[in-house]
Amino acid sequence: MGINKFIKKVKSTLGLTDYEVEGKKKSLKGLIKKLNTRKKSIVKSLESANKKEKKELNEELEIVVCQIKKGKKILHDLYSDK
Amino acid sequence: MLKKILLPTILGILAYGFWISPDFKVIAAGVSIFLFGMLSLEEGFRAFSGGTLEKILQRSTNKLYKSVGFGILSTTIMQSSSLVSVLTISFLGAGLIGLAQGIGIVFGANIGTTTGAWLVAGLGLKVKISAYAMPMLVFGVILIFQKSKSLKGIGYILSGLGFLFLGIHYMKDGFEAFKDTIDLANYAVSGYKGLFLFTGIGVFATVVMQSSHATLVLIITALAAGQISYENALALAIGANIGTTITAILGAMSSNIVGKQLAGAHLIFNGVTGLIAIIFIHQIMYSVDSISAYVGIANDDYALKLAVFHTIFNVIGVVVMIPFIEKLVHFLESVLRDDTSRSNAGFDSARYLNDSVLELPSTAMASIIRETKHLYENAFEIITHGLNLKRSNIVSSMPLDEVIKDGYSKSAIDIDAFYNHKIKGIYGEIIDFSAKAQSGMSTKDIEILYKIKLANRDLVEAVKDTKHLQKNLVKYTNSTNVHIKEQYDHIRKDLAELLRNINIIATTDEDDVILLLLSKAKVHAERHDIITNGTLDKLIREGLITHEMATSLMNDSTYAYDISKNLISMAEVIFSNISTMDLNEEMSMSDNEIKEILEKKDENGNQ
Repeated sequence: MGINKFIKKVKSTLGLTDYEVEGKKKSLKGLIKKLNTRKKSIVKSLESANKKEKKELNEELEIVVCQIKKGKKILHDLYSDK
Repeated sequence: MLKKILLPTILGILAYGFWISPDFKVIAAGVSIFLFGMLSLEEGFRAFSGGTLEKILQRSTNKLYKSVGFGILSTTIMQSSSLVSVLTISFLGAGLIGLAQGIGIVFGANIGTTTGAWLVAGLGLKVKISAYAMPMLVFGVILIFQKSKSLKGIGYILSGLGFLFLGIHYMKDGFEAFKDTIDLANYAVSGYKGLFLFTGIGVFATVVMQSSHATLVLIITALAAGQISYENALALAIGANIGTTITAILGAMSSNIVGKQLAGAHLIFNGVTGLIAIIFIHQIMYSVDSISAYVGIANDDYALKLAVFHTIFNVIGVVVMIPFIEKLVHFLESVLRDDTSRSNAGFDSARYLNDSVLELPSTAMASIIRETKHLYENAFEIITHGLNLKRSNIVSSMPLDEVIKDGYSKSAIDIDAFYNHKIKGIYGEIIDFSAKAQSGMSTKDIEILYKIKLANRDLVEAVKDTKHLQKNLVKYTNSTNVHIKEQYDHIRKDLAELLRNINIIATTDEDDVILLLLSKAKVHAERHDIITNGTLDKLIREGLITHEMATSLMNDSTYAYDISKNLISMAEVIFSNISTMDLNEEMSMSDNEIKEILEKKDENGNQ
């Protein structure tokens, strides 16, 4: 048991305990950032789009907004778990 | 036959040796304990190879200097060039690294293995090493019995080091006692005759022990005890370097062609290095003397001088061979070629599944994913042609309306034949191999493997559905009824769009692009379902198609929907990063969310 505790302590000192969760947070933050950039570019493209293009861009916007919302919720849950 | 005779002969010789000399028994026991220590050490490092080692390997082998550096570092830490070679073959087999990188690692491992000689000559012979061995063994064995995988790994490493030290101690003692009865130095042979003879003995000893490390330790301890001459020890070290390639050759036997090419590179490299060392032995010996004098090694400290020699000739080998790596790769690729897939009467077979990748769960997993991608490529071709589309048009940026006009063939293709030649065999091999790979995997890995197996099944189902769809598709796309023709062309266009998006997903690393295209594909699959979107009802109600046409369209629409669903499910697993698979699943759009988007779209459309 003593050795187990020792290893746990070393792991937490080196920041190895939550590396999976930390990695997930990092990936998610990166993804949300990219989705936000994409959202801005879609909104900008909508200004000069024709009817057919608008239809496609709106659909894409809906999806991106939904994904951002979803991503933020997962990120929030990850932080609140800690 | 030879195998049957070899083992009893070796055992017989050893037993005779033990009978005539108790000191020989001590030396042999020392070698055995040392080899057992290496096995234990390898086992320990394997426990830690569940991700970290692989990540480091993948990140640190993209440049030649990095792969050489990785070879040096990993061999120095693990003290086993054999383990590094076997792992490299495993990574090559899984297609995670290329042959040039693999060769770089092997070159580095050759330099890294020289640290062993330094440790033994510098530390092992000067410090009472057995004093450290005992506590290491005790702590190690206690940890081996723990449940935790990490503790077990540490236990194996500690006991491995303990056995290594104990083995060195016994070899040292054995040779010192041996000296009093027989002086092997009397059998020293001078000149080139001795050089070739002892190089041969070095090769033989290493092939038998399958460890250049053990041979080298044996040489150093014998040299320190004055049992062999310095010149003969150098020749033995050269032989050990050539003999060590046997491990890579044996490891490559169960590997695919790239593994065999790497073993070939290892043999050529160590052979050339050995030849250089033999030809320039006097010049190298002169350099050893100069360097030893410069770093303060005593003129009669032959053990340390041997370590200097071992390092110098391996570094020379790497320096000489590095400019020829590209040529070596070309040579090996032209000499050792894989003809199995071509000679099998047009039947495509697995490219990445071989026993060498079973060494590590991560390489086994990577191979299965790669093989599934291979299966996907074949399925992509069959589905595309089954829909009477050209593959080149799908992967281009040609407008979809033009893609469906430019058909692949005027008649139906034989999907059954394609299935038997390009799908069935590979699918079967993936399933068989997965069952084998599963035994060494963790629960989490088994869950991932299960998803990969389902993805394979999805691909096979998509091909089978294409077969059913093709029958009416050919009939009605040539029909005089424009309405039914229009509906079947819609199906082709929707599936062409999906195939194009999946091709983009397969070729991009951008996670936001993958996520967006998969979500879009899901929304489109639902939107294009003509049963739920009311198209079919409208066509029947207005009498635009016959009952027979309606039935066919309804069935084929279901096939198209299933193809879409299967391909999307497959892409979600196969083309997402395995380390972020959980996240991708969580981010994946649910049926309710798709429904919401479709409803909003309808509202916008009605406005």
